[in-house]
Amino acid sequence: MKIEKVMSAKEAVSKFIDDGMNIAIGSFFHTIAYNITHEIIRQEKKHLTICAPSFNEHADQLIGAGCVDRIVSSYVWMEVFGSLNCFRRAMEKGVPNKIEMEDYTNFAMAARFLAGSLGIPYMPVHSMKGSDMMKYSSWMGENKVRMMKDPFGSGVEHALVPALKPDVGFVHAQRADEEGNVQMWGILGDAPYSVRACQKVIVSVEEIVSRDVIGRDPNRTVLPGYKVVAVVEDPFGSHPKNCQGYYNADRDFIFKYIQESRTEEGWKKFMDEWVYGVSNRADYLKKYIDTFGMKKFQSLKAKDMSSSSVNYGY
Amino acid sequence: MMMSENRYSDFTLQELMAVAAAAEIKDGEKVIIGTGLPLLGGLLAQRTHAPNMIAIYESGAIDCKPLVTPFSVADPVLVPGAAMQGGLIDGLGIVHAGDVDVGFLGGAQIDKYGNLNTHVIGDYYSPTVRLPGSGGSNDIGAGCKRTVIMMLHQKQRFPEKVDFVTTPGYFDGAGQREKMGFPGDGPSVVVSTLGILRFHVKTKEMYLESYHPGVTIEQIKLNTGWDLKMAADVKETVRPTPEVIRILREELDPTGIFLGKN
Repeated sequence: MKIEKVMSAKEAVSKFIDDGMNIAIGSFFHTIAYNITHEIIRQEKKHLTICAPSFNEHADQLIGAGCVDRIVSSYVWMEVFGSLNCFRRAMEKGVPNKIEMEDYTNFAMAARFLAGSLGIPYMPVHSMKGSDMMKYSSWMGENKVRMMKDPFGSGVEHALVPALKPDVGFVHAQRADEEGNVQMWGILGDAPYSVRACQKVIVSVEEIVSRDVIGRDPNRTVLPGYKVVAVVEDPFGSHPKNCQGYYNADRDFIFKYIQESRTEEGWKKFMDEWVYGVSNRADYLKKYIDTFGMKKFQSLKAKDMSSSSVNYGY
Repeated sequence: MMMSENRYSDFTLQELMAVAAAAEIKDGEKVIIGTGLPLLGGLLAQRTHAPNMIAIYESGAIDCKPLVTPFSVADPVLVPGAAMQGGLIDGLGIVHAGDVDVGFLGGAQIDKYGNLNTHVIGDYYSPTVRLPGSGGSNDIGAGCKRTVIMMLHQKQRFPEKVDFVTTPGYFDGAGQREKMGFPGDGPSVVVSTLGILRFHVKTKEMYLESYHPGVTIEQIKLNTGWDLKMAADVKETVRPTPEVIRILREELDPTGIFLGKN
């Protein structure tokens, strides 16, 4: 029986994301689903545990909106743009609520997802060893990380990090078909293992394409559709971050958020305008064009640097 | 330092640091690059004495030859022209495997034995300042054959002991690191805003190799939280040539996002 998976971001979030869930939110600048994030905020989901190796402003917005109780991550900052201010207010002052964090490293997070995606309980790594991340834990205790000597006799001790298997994950990608077979290219970040490790996945895309388009280049598929519960078509769903081949990152808008979120009032004003004040991504885009002009919007669009296609013939 | 005959004979500390970082890279080496000054240092090395350097980003971009300067380790400009593009598991996977020669690191605090803190100032559970966390820092520190550390040189940033060990250097001194079985050998240099510091081959304690032009040894001692030892032949840091400064400003950071506008 064919299950209808194509739906709006609003419907996908209301159907598949519940209070208290452990969710993988995407990371590493590229193909982050800001549309899904904003929908979670508008629907006022609570007590979430959010997981991603390298957080972007979308995580900061979830924290500021009071959706988050716990974080599992390795980096919460916006690189050269500056600190993520809601994260710092929550950690340093308990505003809007106290949050707990388990600190890993980028590779340890990737290894946790990899273990989750393979159905094995843990992964041995060199990361974390000897650091204070081994000593401190907020809620996982001894299950955060353990040491084990190589049973095959090398004499080396490794840190064992446990498999991470979030309830739901969401990601933005270039394209998928109606069954949720997802194709992504460019910087994959924590994908494909993060989404493969999830029980269910919400996929947001620039374009829904036919099954035939997917089948013509199957090496490009990062996740087969069977785990995908929702396919959302939202062009510019990753703005202000980029989507390779579609649009570049909007540095001015990233700076704007970092600047305005320095105070709680500034943050609220930004969110009222760009999240609470719009009803969906199309509305957000219309507002963007009305505010900054069509010329600015057009300037974000990617140049054509298409690759040559390959021959899959046999 | 205004010199009128050549507008590139003048340089800032930031530029000097990027040049010093570049000098740590040998041609043909595999280098994992971060953002900010290390990124400029890496690109500068690639543009000058190390054209065969293999630039790797933790985002999974391998052997990148970007046409414009990336402003993030996951900038889309890294992708076209790269030899391989994967994800985190690929970019940091080759670091974890011990394949990468040099890694660039930075932090809020560094101690006498090169241990780095990028987690918290104060108590972990109720921090005075909460910092980003490890990111790839700890992974790079464990896996790269050697690391180059870029630091703002202030007393509170150079304490005798860091508040939190994010990325181990040599722990409490000689012989400690070997017990951990890391693929990498640890920090080889600290390029600070005041000078260049290395680690004693036997004791692994940090010492001053050179002070930057316009900086005194006294100033460096005052800004270091322990009794900093000096190299026997401590000297001034080599000044960058005007041509290198021109490449930095005009070709690598024309908008001044990393170096500030001149």
